[in-house]
Amino acid sequence: MDILLLLVWIVILFIVVMLHVAYATYFERKIIGHMQVRLGPMRVGWHGLLQPIADGIKSFFKEDIIPENADRPIFLAAPIICLAAMLTSLAVLPFAKGWVLADIDIGLLFIFAMSSLASYGVVLAGWSSNSKYSFLGGMRSMAQVISYEISMGLSLVGVMLLSGSLNLSAIVEAQGDRFLGMYILPQCIGFFVFFVSMLAETNRVPFDLPEAETELVSGYCTEYSGMRYAIFFMAEYIGMMVMASIATICFLGGWHGPFPVPFFPPLWFVLKVYLFMFVFIWLRATLPRYRYDQLMGLGWKVLIPLALVNIVLTACLKAVFTLGG
Amino acid sequence: MQVQYKPRRGWLGTIFQSEILQGMGLTLRRLFSRPITRQYPDERPQIRVGFRGQHALVRDPATGDCKCVGCMRCAMACPSRCIRIRSHKDKAPGSRRVIDSYRIEALRCVYCGFCQEVCPVNAIVLTEVFEYSRLERSSLHFTKEQLLANWDQFAAQLNMSDGYVNPCWRPRGLAERDLPAPKRLPVPPEWSGGEQVVGRQWRQHLPPEQS
Repeated sequence: MDILLLLVWIVILFIVVMLHVAYATYFERKIIGHMQVRLGPMRVGWHGLLQPIADGIKSFFKEDIIPENADRPIFLAAPIICLAAMLTSLAVLPFAKGWVLADIDIGLLFIFAMSSLASYGVVLAGWSSNSKYSFLGGMRSMAQVISYEISMGLSLVGVMLLSGSLNLSAIVEAQGDRFLGMYILPQCIGFFVFFVSMLAETNRVPFDLPEAETELVSGYCTEYSGMRYAIFFMAEYIGMMVMASIATICFLGGWHGPFPVPFFPPLWFVLKVYLFMFVFIWLRATLPRYRYDQLMGLGWKVLIPLALVNIVLTACLKAVFTLGG
Repeated sequence: MQVQYKPRRGWLGTIFQSEILQGMGLTLRRLFSRPITRQYPDERPQIRVGFRGQHALVRDPATGDCKCVGCMRCAMACPSRCIRIRSHKDKAPGSRRVIDSYRIEALRCVYCGFCQEVCPVNAIVLTEVFEYSRLERSSLHFTKEQLLANWDQFAAQLNMSDGYVNPCWRPRGLAERDLPAPKRLPVPPEWSGGEQVVGRQWRQHLPPEQS
């Protein structure tokens, strides 16, 4: 019976997240449009509100092209690896007190594992397409993931030290519901490092080198079409949402807000996640792409040393305060 | 010319990435500004004075034919060489030159308007019609009959075919005495007078819902 209930929850979460993904694309197109003094989608439905649904139907019925010389099994598996890994990491996110599918003690580690697994999908897609552009996109993605995964993991060590747990619910509880309890204040360096590596991890502007459309056509998904392309797209948006959730949980106090909301406890969580999504989009409308060597230089020469300094500082301060107090 | 460099950013600017924040401030301000998009099929653009659109040969109400005299000036002035004219003249003294065919390949035209500027009798005109896309190429190779039909359509929609003056018929910057008699036409002051709309005034000149 428990398993049945869990399945129902999984289906509900899946549907909500898929709708969210559809409307996140709408949100992004509208906001970028207005930032560029345009209107964005306006034709399908009132102010283009049905545009994501029309896009979904379109990509579902489009022809599915597989290049003749592609490595077929890997080509077919790559988008699914991407999407499955991203969807799996949704299981450990606590949306509100008790609103979590799998309350495991290594939640944070699980998220890291899944997000690096998702980039395997990108690398394999680049490799199996048997095209120069896809291959370059895949290689760039690999290098980017290796260098930014490290700084991302290190930036969250400070949070782990302060909360003393890897369980995401426990991290939120450790921050308490006071404004000053949010880890963004003691962990501002960690937050900066995490934020930049979060952009790189989700392949967003200004770190969208794997799919840099001005140089690599569409990077790793050049050879994909129809539904498979849409799956990569969904994986990217779910990745954005997962990373925004992690940032919310670890630095902004998760579901805690100024006052509790009676009927819909995750409201504050959702609002914070949307704040991060807005910043993602805002950055995309503002910044140009990094050059490749700048990307690597930023990762290895700035972010990793900063994250290490942050760990040492946090550990020392925590030791001093626990000994003193 | 003196090159104005920006001052080097200080270490505070480097730490807080002040330039990125400036850029983000700019995009945020634009988020709340009014979009300039015109929802085209619902919201028609305002056609300005001197718009150069679909080609037409003016139908002379006296003869029912085109006004062209076969001087070939338009064909010579055309930078893309898209005008082809064939004409002949009867042996009898005093007879007019007869236009056998007058073809314009609209797909090659660059809409510079030189043809209508040089035409001494105001026979050719680039009308204000701009929606004339077709599915086949050949229907955009206008013959004389099609060009006259274009004029009829335009004149019907204009509803003032006898009083119509296209401002391009009177080239700018020429004195009255330098123009041939048929080109000494009255044009609106915003075409060539002091109220001429150029450069930046182009947008400010419009009513707010059109700018």
